[in-house]
Amino acid sequence: MAADAENLSTLQLQFARFRRNRLAIASVWVLVLIVLACFLGPYLFPFTGEDADFDYISAPIDFSSPHLFGTDDYGRDLLVRTLEGGRVSLTIGFLGALVAGGIGVLYGAVAGFTGGRTDSLMMRLVEILYGFPYVILVILLSLLFGGGNIALFAAIVFTLWLTPAVIVRSQAEGLARREFVEAARAGGMTSTGIVLRHIVPNCFSVVIVYGSLLVPEVILSESFLSFLGIGIKEPQASWGNLIQTGTSAMDTDLRLLLLPGAFLVAVLLCLNFIADGLRDAFDPNDR
Amino acid sequence: MPSTPMTADPLLSVRDLRVTFRLPQGEVRAVDGVDFDLRKGEVLGIVGESGSGKSQILFALMGLLAGNGGASGKAMLGGRNLLALSPRQLDQVRGSEMSIVFQDPMTALNPYMRVGDQLAEGLIAHHGLSRDAAWKEAVAMLDRVRIPDPAARAQAYPHQFSGGMRQRVMIAMALLMKPAILLADEPTTALDVTIQAQVLDLIAELARETGTAVILVTHDLGVVARACDRVLVLYGGQVMEEAAIDTLFDHPRHPYTQGLLKAMPRMEGEESPRLGTIPGAPSARRGPGCPFAPRCDRKIVICDRESPPLLLEDDRRIACHVEAADAVA
Amino acid sequence: MLRFIGKRLWDGGLTLAALVTLTFFVMRLAPGGPFSKSRKISPEVLANIQKTYHLDEPIWMQFARYVKGLATFDLGPSTRFRDYSVGDMIASGLPWSVTIGIWAILVATLVGIALGVAGAMRRNSATDYAAGIVGVVGVAVPIFVIGPLMQVIFALRLGWVPVGGIAEGWRALILPVLVLALPNIAYISRLTRSSMIETLRENYVRTARAKGIGEGRVVRGHALKGTLLPVIAYLGPATAAIITGSILIETIFALPGIGRHFVDAALNRDYPLVMGITLLYGALLILLNIVTDLIRAWIDPRLRNGR
Repeated sequence: MAADAENLSTLQLQFARFRRNRLAIASVWVLVLIVLACFLGPYLFPFTGEDADFDYISAPIDFSSPHLFGTDDYGRDLLVRTLEGGRVSLTIGFLGALVAGGIGVLYGAVAGFTGGRTDSLMMRLVEILYGFPYVILVILLSLLFGGGNIALFAAIVFTLWLTPAVIVRSQAEGLARREFVEAARAGGMTSTGIVLRHIVPNCFSVVIVYGSLLVPEVILSESFLSFLGIGIKEPQASWGNLIQTGTSAMDTDLRLLLLPGAFLVAVLLCLNFIADGLRDAFDPNDR
Repeated sequence: MPSTPMTADPLLSVRDLRVTFRLPQGEVRAVDGVDFDLRKGEVLGIVGESGSGKSQILFALMGLLAGNGGASGKAMLGGRNLLALSPRQLDQVRGSEMSIVFQDPMTALNPYMRVGDQLAEGLIAHHGLSRDAAWKEAVAMLDRVRIPDPAARAQAYPHQFSGGMRQRVMIAMALLMKPAILLADEPTTALDVTIQAQVLDLIAELARETGTAVILVTHDLGVVARACDRVLVLYGGQVMEEAAIDTLFDHPRHPYTQGLLKAMPRMEGEESPRLGTIPGAPSARRGPGCPFAPRCDRKIVICDRESPPLLLEDDRRIACHVEAADAVA
Repeated sequence: MLRFIGKRLWDGGLTLAALVTLTFFVMRLAPGGPFSKSRKISPEVLANIQKTYHLDEPIWMQFARYVKGLATFDLGPSTRFRDYSVGDMIASGLPWSVTIGIWAILVATLVGIALGVAGAMRRNSATDYAAGIVGVVGVAVPIFVIGPLMQVIFALRLGWVPVGGIAEGWRALILPVLVLALPNIAYISRLTRSSMIETLRENYVRTARAKGIGEGRVVRGHALKGTLLPVIAYLGPATAAIITGSILIETIFALPGIGRHFVDAALNRDYPLVMGITLLYGALLILLNIVTDLIRAWIDPRLRNGR
């Protein structure tokens, strides 16, 4: 069997495996569709999500009217608001995961590679931060940074970098002892160089597997903070606060809750399936 | 058709045993038509390389094949075909009439359970003993396998024992119920060389005491020489040769057996500059002919076309076209 | 054994100390003090307030004063509810949160393990797929979407349970507990299932089977302990997740627990209350982690006597 496989790099083999997972691929397509809808969709309409249309207050779903899915009680189009909310949630989600992942990877790589007391100290800090109930930490941090949107972003990132750091650190620790590191050092590479050019790239598959779960985590965090009123605030839309508005009207009008809810659930489901697919493809020991 | 005669009242009689595994890439035959008899009190060795299917024979008998494996054929013990029994029915045989010692003592024992409990379990389940009575017997057995301070050690956990001692515990566990048959799957492979001989001797000695027959699976001819009465040589899931131990070692006739013996480093005998090797490697692909044909240096045309029948000659069985032809000639 | 507990308590104490310090300084440094939101106050009244709440003292003294208060369980007054101390607020909300939390953990653990075991023992059966769906839904659909939906279906349309509030006693807790437990049911069932499948493949389970003691005894006496170890390890994070979730649940179902107080306090910059609840949660989690570690060491003898 070894004779059959051509010289495919490990990466190519892993991606091929991912592509065979139909659920994951379907999820990628659905996700792409939603992303396009959220970022480009609003341009298809003559109004924005903040424009109040006094002719149509609390209008129901009516595909013949200019407001396809109706409006809220301020007369703002629900669909456009949902799509715009999606922009916010998705941007924060992907960007946040990237930043949190980036910080975590660097922190973990440095800690694992350096070892010794620095490593112990760095990991102690992580342990202590881990001991904080997550939501408390996010809320505290968001207060600390002033409570605005930047604060929200910073707070979420600050709580989520921990897990990637722990994972990358144990990978890095294992890698640091391997011979190619010795070789690089003998060749005159600085520690920084080694960390950046050898350690980090080799953690790739681990980062992909666990990092892909970061995106739904960030989106979930932002959503529930916005739901509570601590995150994105009115009149700016985010799926979280749209759902919150929806709950206060749910005894009479479900669609205010269902439309943003459906989008949020769809995105989270897709992300979860994709993450599962990545895990199966990149880490065949699992399962 | 293989002509295996009925030995006078064998304890265990295996005919046409086949073990197949269902893999995504197709079916793999690990055991491909194996026959043998086991007499009361004898030690039968099954020798083969990795992948020869030898361990699967034991697992098939005990109903311990992996989920994607299936066994067919007959394995008659006490009038019942073990291969046709349901797991429930097998449970009455396993652990009481027939027990097994596995290869890796590190993982074969439950790390969360005290050793004494693991020993006593069988007695409680099969013989209905009380916990105290079972423990007493367990401690006595630990003593027989020469574990020092057995009463205290019975309270300990597996990770507190060394590899050799753990294997002794496994042996104790297997022989505690005084089974008629003991199956041993490479019992010494995972142990230090210095301990191997001790453990082998222990198995042989205790088996003799209790009158238990043993099937000892191994890849190591040295083990076979030390402990067995008769040997079965397995290749590619089929029996190549079977004979009493002295007969096999003094006069091996099958090309594979000859190759194996040539590859064994010897202390006595003429000096030869190199250890013999058998060229090639075992392969999973099975053509129509003799499984050893691709690597055989004495093969003739028919070897690649037809599977050789297992023939009885004097006191040995051998499956080889070349030998059969010589014998006729 | 005592050394084990002692060491964990010491570590926990350190974490708590870090928590106190961090929270305190975060509070003090955060923009927007407790009184800057109110309408304009005259300078004298402001000075008076500063004096009463010791806000005019150097920050180190305030910290020392706070720590001293902690020793006597005095968490200070709530700056928003002038008549109540933080201790009072916590005391009023705690019973609700604790009740819901404990029930949620119980339900999540029992149902989760049951589903996981059922799925593992009957792989690819209808049971397994049903459990799998619960697994996916519970993990991907957020509490604040399921909660209101459940309210609509079971409270508004069917009228089986009240929509919220505590007026109807224990019946009002059914829905909150179920919704709170759901994500954990999902996760625990997935965890149990994969753990059991792996454990059943272990060599020592094969040995147990080889002894002919019967499949029931094999699963109960041998496979179960190995299966449950990762689940127990998860109980710590599970409780943290339930604490997080309870904040949402209390908001959605209008229950006066400390989660709700926490959110209100955060929104209103009631720093002493925020701090008090933070410390409470922190201490709770530390205690819980110690307990789960103890349980794990009790099950797995290899974990005793140091790492």
